[in-house]
Amino acid sequence: MTQKNKAYSLILNNLIIYGIAIILALGVISIFVAILGYNVWDALRTLLTTSFKSSFGFSETIKKAIPLLFATYAFTIPFMIKFFNIGGWGQMLFGGTMTVVVGLTLGPLGLPAIIMIPLLLLVGIVSGGVFALVAGFLKAKYNINPIISTIMLNFIAYQFVNFIATSDAFKDPLEGHPITQKLSESSLMGFFGEIPASIIVAFIAIIFVYLVMKRTRLGFEITSVGQNLIASQTYGINFSKTIMVAFFIGGALAGIGGSLEVINIHGKLIEGFAKTSGAQFGIFGVLTSLVVAGNPLAVPFAAFFMSVLLVGADSLQRTMQVPVEVVFLSQAIIVMFVVIIREKYGKGNK
Amino acid sequence: MAFITSFIESVLVYTTVYTLASLGILISGRTGIFNVAGEGIMLASASAGFLAAFLSGSWLIGFLAGALMGAFFGLILAFVHETFKVNQFILGICLVIFGSGLSDLLYKLVIGVRLSAPIAPDTLRITIPFLSKVPIISGFLNHDVIVYFMYAATFTAWWFFYRTKIGLETRAIGENPKAADVVGINVSRRRYLATIIGSSLIGIAGAYLTIAITKTYSPDISAGRGFMAVGIAIFASWKPQRAILGGFIFAFIEVMSFQLQIISDKIPYQFFLMLPFISILVIMVVFKKHIEFPASVGKPYSRE
Repeated sequence: MTQKNKAYSLILNNLIIYGIAIILALGVISIFVAILGYNVWDALRTLLTTSFKSSFGFSETIKKAIPLLFATYAFTIPFMIKFFNIGGWGQMLFGGTMTVVVGLTLGPLGLPAIIMIPLLLLVGIVSGGVFALVAGFLKAKYNINPIISTIMLNFIAYQFVNFIATSDAFKDPLEGHPITQKLSESSLMGFFGEIPASIIVAFIAIIFVYLVMKRTRLGFEITSVGQNLIASQTYGINFSKTIMVAFFIGGALAGIGGSLEVINIHGKLIEGFAKTSGAQFGIFGVLTSLVVAGNPLAVPFAAFFMSVLLVGADSLQRTMQVPVEVVFLSQAIIVMFVVIIREKYGKGNK
Repeated sequence: MAFITSFIESVLVYTTVYTLASLGILISGRTGIFNVAGEGIMLASASAGFLAAFLSGSWLIGFLAGALMGAFFGLILAFVHETFKVNQFILGICLVIFGSGLSDLLYKLVIGVRLSAPIAPDTLRITIPFLSKVPIISGFLNHDVIVYFMYAATFTAWWFFYRTKIGLETRAIGENPKAADVVGINVSRRRYLATIIGSSLIGIAGAYLTIAITKTYSPDISAGRGFMAVGIAIFASWKPQRAILGGFIFAFIEVMSFQLQIISDKIPYQFFLMLPFISILVIMVVFKKHIEFPASVGKPYSRE
């Protein structure tokens, strides 16, 4: 087979897998909906079309897709070297919290938006990255399973959000819940109509991830460590360093996601933010990434499709009172099926 | 003295949760199945166990339902892994998410929204005639039946792994499945059994949260304890006798951080709530040299 034919057969193979995955997804959800005694056809239509029926539905989809994209990258990059970063949520929380701390502290200086916004995003990048780096470091130096460490860091980050949001320096005195004061106007990103301006940052991130993974030495190192650890070590790649870098990049991307939630959506820090449809974005990020077998190039599409489902699920709960957990639970089953199919019939991406 | 006794009493309650869950994880780990789904199993069992206890009015049926739910998760894990050789960690994470969705869904469907939360029936308490009156010692003995079950399960697991031939064989699977296979041990069947039995123990730990501790269900009730249990199993180097020690240490830290949070007004309470999660990481770093893994844990085995 020629190189070109091989590439085609790989693409075809993937298309078949995703086709089966989508059919399975709808099948599993239908079964649950039917068991619970709702109209299957109506439910499926609501699930798939809510995003495209109204401008509200579409902007909601984009609003969910952006943080989901970053949460998915957070899992995907370390997953390329076979490590599990379940801490995307914690990294988002930490990135968002530090953004608010810096934003509120610098607020009285009255810096213009052109300085404030890049600065705050940088804070999100660095703090999210450093927070994930803790897990990478614990793996590289102490062999602590990142599943455990990143989960523990999630809980730590959650408490840290509450600490900042209830501290005398930042809290909103009129609020009963842990919520901070609002950020100043120049720290906030605006909207294009109903579409949040953070979509620009999302596109930059997509291009950045593509370039790093496909065009740089670093991306090559990460890919080769994931594919063949021993060969890449012989070639001279430092495994410990690669682990830490991968966690840092993943966490940095999650950190931007957290920052954007704060400066574009909420405008302040809210207890346990970065949640949707009854669960945190980190979990949905893990599911989304597993659907595409951690292929960073497929992440944007998967994140968009997943947020269509999430918006549909919210609408399903509002209009038909189908519990939102149904979709959540089905997603876990779907991912399990997809992983099984890929293990049995997949080519080239084991 | 009374304070110390009651402190030990509350530590023992959480020791039961941690120890049972980490026993469940280490039993399957000994055959090479790394069960990271503990959190999901605990959540689903907490919900199922509570509902069964509430509806039947019997604590025993509640715990059985919890164990059954755990066994169901164990069966899925073992089946999908053994049949399709799917990565255990991916499976575990899917099951965590599945379990957390299932727990809320079950509760919503059966109970729905009520003004007053339903309350679980009391679990049978066992007091030992003389010893349950002695200060301090009574903290360990004046408890419900599940605490004694936890003592018995720990002892049985230790006895099984270190004093019986089948236990030795089971440990051999975790170290070298190929060698175990060669001497005629049915690796796959042992893995199924260990995962199902282990997961039902995790299920009992989950049910204990709702039936005995809070007596009612609330979302995300296990609050990370399922993952802590994985950490404890690792800290324990997959040894039952060390799992109960680890369970006690983390229960102690958890109860202490609750108490300190009330007493201290200098340090923000959030830092006390972080303490259990920070300390598990610190302990794993400090005890790095004393932690061993069964050689095949986390790896699929197929005859080829």
